[in-house]
Amino acid sequence: MGRRKKIVQECEKLMDNPEHIRNIAIAAHVDHGKTTLSDNLLAGAGMISDETAGQQLAMDTKEDEQERGITIDAANVSMTHEWEDQNHLINLIDTPGHVDFGGDVTRAMRAVDGALVVVDAVEGAMPQTETVLRQALREGVKPALFINKVDRLINELQEGPQEMQERLFEVISDVNELIRGMTEEKDYDWTVSVEDGTVAFGSALYKWGVSMPSMQETGISFGDIIDMEQNDERQELHERTPLSDVVLDMVAEHFPNPLDAQPRRIPAVWRGDSESEIAKQMREVDDDGDVVFMVTDISMDPHAGEIATGRLFSGTIKKGQELYVSGTAKKNRVQSVGIFMGGEREDLDRGVPAGNIAAVTGLRDAIAGSTVSSVEMTPFESIEHISEPVITKSVEATNMDDLPKLIQTLQQVAKEDPTIRIEINEDTGEHLISGQGELHLEVITQRIQKNQGIPVHTGEPIVVYREAPTQASREVEGVSPNRHNKFYISVEPLSEEIVEEIRLGNIANDMPELERREALQEAGMDKDASQNFEHIFGSNILLDNTKGIQHLNETMELVIEGMEEALNDGPLAAEPVQGALLRLHDAKLHEDTIHRGPAQVIPAAREAVHRALIDSKVKLLEPIQNVRIDVPSDYMGSASGEIQGRRGRVDDMYQEGDLMVIEGIAPVEEMIGFSSDVRSATEGRASWNTENAGFRVMSDSLQTDKIMEIRERKGMKLELSPAIDYI
Amino acid sequence: MLTFIGLGLYDERSITVEGRDALRDADRAFAEFYTSKLIGTTVEDLSAHHGLDIEVRDRAGTEQDPTPILDAAEEEDVVFLTAGDTMISTTHVDLRLRAVERDIETRVIHGVTAQSAASGLTGLQNYRFGKAVTLPFPYAHGGDDVPKSVVDSIEANLERGLHTLVYLDIKAHRDEYMTASTAAEMFADGWEDRLAVVVARAGSPEPLVAADRFSALAEREFGDPLHMLVIPGDLHHVEAEALETLGGCPSELLDPL
Repeated sequence: MGRRKKIVQECEKLMDNPEHIRNIAIAAHVDHGKTTLSDNLLAGAGMISDETAGQQLAMDTKEDEQERGITIDAANVSMTHEWEDQNHLINLIDTPGHVDFGGDVTRAMRAVDGALVVVDAVEGAMPQTETVLRQALREGVKPALFINKVDRLINELQEGPQEMQERLFEVISDVNELIRGMTEEKDYDWTVSVEDGTVAFGSALYKWGVSMPSMQETGISFGDIIDMEQNDERQELHERTPLSDVVLDMVAEHFPNPLDAQPRRIPAVWRGDSESEIAKQMREVDDDGDVVFMVTDISMDPHAGEIATGRLFSGTIKKGQELYVSGTAKKNRVQSVGIFMGGEREDLDRGVPAGNIAAVTGLRDAIAGSTVSSVEMTPFESIEHISEPVITKSVEATNMDDLPKLIQTLQQVAKEDPTIRIEINEDTGEHLISGQGELHLEVITQRIQKNQGIPVHTGEPIVVYREAPTQASREVEGVSPNRHNKFYISVEPLSEEIVEEIRLGNIANDMPELERREALQEAGMDKDASQNFEHIFGSNILLDNTKGIQHLNETMELVIEGMEEALNDGPLAAEPVQGALLRLHDAKLHEDTIHRGPAQVIPAAREAVHRALIDSKVKLLEPIQNVRIDVPSDYMGSASGEIQGRRGRVDDMYQEGDLMVIEGIAPVEEMIGFSSDVRSATEGRASWNTENAGFRVMSDSLQTDKIMEIRERKGMKLELSPAIDYI
Repeated sequence: MLTFIGLGLYDERSITVEGRDALRDADRAFAEFYTSKLIGTTVEDLSAHHGLDIEVRDRAGTEQDPTPILDAAEEEDVVFLTAGDTMISTTHVDLRLRAVERDIETRVIHGVTAQSAASGLTGLQNYRFGKAVTLPFPYAHGGDDVPKSVVDSIEANLERGLHTLVYLDIKAHRDEYMTASTAAEMFADGWEDRLAVVVARAGSPEPLVAADRFSALAEREFGDPLHMLVIPGDLHHVEAEALETLGGCPSELLDPL
């Protein structure tokens, strides 16, 4: 029997015992060594050869991932590990660290109960470290820390045992400060510590690792490690204290099993009735219960088609089951169920029981984020990714014949990665694809070309702008083309608290009315207003302040449609409107349905919303990024110049180790091309990181030029409504 | 001068003599056919018949951008044409008000309207009609059945014993006309199966009147457009007799009355 086959059998045996299962994710700042660590773990489990671990990047299964040397999609694998004479099933997800792919990390966290956070010993906690920790803690996922690249402290920085320990403790205390800040309101302490064994150190590249328990067991001290590293005895070091054993012991000992985790996590991620039978089944990880499967990832397999990967919270998912998919009316039939072994799936006809991560085919209507269940139920909270798309590129098929295939592929892309937005324009054939950054879009378009074999032209990346009200408007009238229908609407800025709650998915259209009302009041909306809630669109809210207007019920859908059109294409440059609170104060309607149909009501509502926005002094917002540059002090001036020269602002400069850290913000638009510029300005000595940081009102002096530039690009009229006299 | 002329119900000859004279004397003629249409003729035939080029305006060109019509009417004698009557069921009073605002003299020359035909062909008395309604195509109002406001209006009429005239949606720009069978089926499924009267091709040489239950009407074909429906309220004995004689109403549906 092959080794691989044996592991599958072993996994199968273990998956019925939730107390021996650990579902974990590895997450970190880009380049801190997640995937290399994953390889170590796979090699330790006998799934790839020991020699190639560290170079194989087995979890970077896609060609472009291996080429770029970064992980782009979250990848899944199951393995077994023996700890205290008991074999454990470890379901592992490796996640991308590059900021452009943050959506994958958020989704992966839904599937797991423990997060192994990897931090580079030299660089310390970086911005993405903070982001992944936040993503984990919000989902109720327990962290543990692996400090990687300790060999660099020894060989590059020539640190002795004392200096080394100081530096490691500094990293730990930085991470703990983050954890403490994020769990203030929780009744558990999830800070990590060497003494408890929730911290391990090592080198994923040279495959060795230590923790307090392992040092006690093997008797290896920091001094020994330094000697062996320096005397080129790394292989021996690896054999005496292999990284995979140390880390997997930590995983088995400190990460919660599903029985322990689900009672805590279910209330954090599911809003259904906690007294219901299904809630009980999920808390108890009941494999005889109803099937509840949360899809965290959709991927394409050339043979099997779409594969939905996710966490099974209750029941046993099996081939042939007919399951409900949230958000659609139909049921889907499960075609196969399996687990992941490296890049490949192993089908298991016996099915996969509660508490595991499963790979399922046949769920045609599922998208990343769907709840799939054997009974109709309240779906899981949507997995909200924190950042919105900031960059758009046009994509056009080179050959007209490929057009239908391109549209299909784009729709597939959006299904696989909800942080991607697609706008299909069948008239021009020029489709728009929006994402988290230059790299994100580059990877996606390359995949369309390579994997689907569709040659495409892409446009220059364009920044996505927003429009937002800056003050309260008066009540403004919108009249239908036949002048028989009128709507009276006002607009004011929505408070930041409410916008944030909408973004996090805590206030949504698809939640029970009373709960939403409470959430609105908690975020600061007054009681009367919260009772008039009608609709959320983007981060905008419509309130219906009217009373007893005949036929308005029937017309409201059209009003909403008009409002959505108006908000999608704001009055300044047809960019999306954000953070607006709209109130419908009154409506005058024609007696007959035909004379208050879509052709009348939609333009009237659209006009009212646009005029109210203008009266609220709507302005153009641009996306901005936090920028951090680590650079030797000789290059500090040229590096900070790269921020300042881009309409940016340097907020802080400080020494960290032998490097200077420059922190600041700059508009995304100006950051296009930053990589190569900062590289040449610092002769390649800088490392940097950017993070999307929302939208900011552009300065008044730039408003008109930018608005006109966008209008020209979109082929709009180059004059603004005369009412826009304030910019 | 802006003269509103109703073209009547069916073809180029349905216009009144007064309307025809005004049309032939005009300097320019505009028309809209998105609210209704003359089934028995075309714009070309109509133009040829009256010896005047008729410029057809779409909805946007009438409602949102009526300036060319008004500009012309300021200078010369302009007529604005619709099927039926320009002021009944359509909404052109707005255009007239805009003209008055600009000090343009206006006048209305009536045409025969569907409303008078509905009463005239069925024998249901015009005194006894309540609010009229339009039944929209399901896709046009976003639902998949009879809108609640339509049912509400009919039921309010029935409560007072009044008849309801139901206009059936037309999408003239793509030659789509709701048939009486479709409408009857929508009512039978979405409301209740009761007595109704189909009026087809009013104003043509061969109009048709058929009275029966919705479910029975839904099974029948009534031929070319335009169709409309009347839902009778309480019936006067002469009205009942007319439905039986002129509309072939099964007598058991009239018995309890």
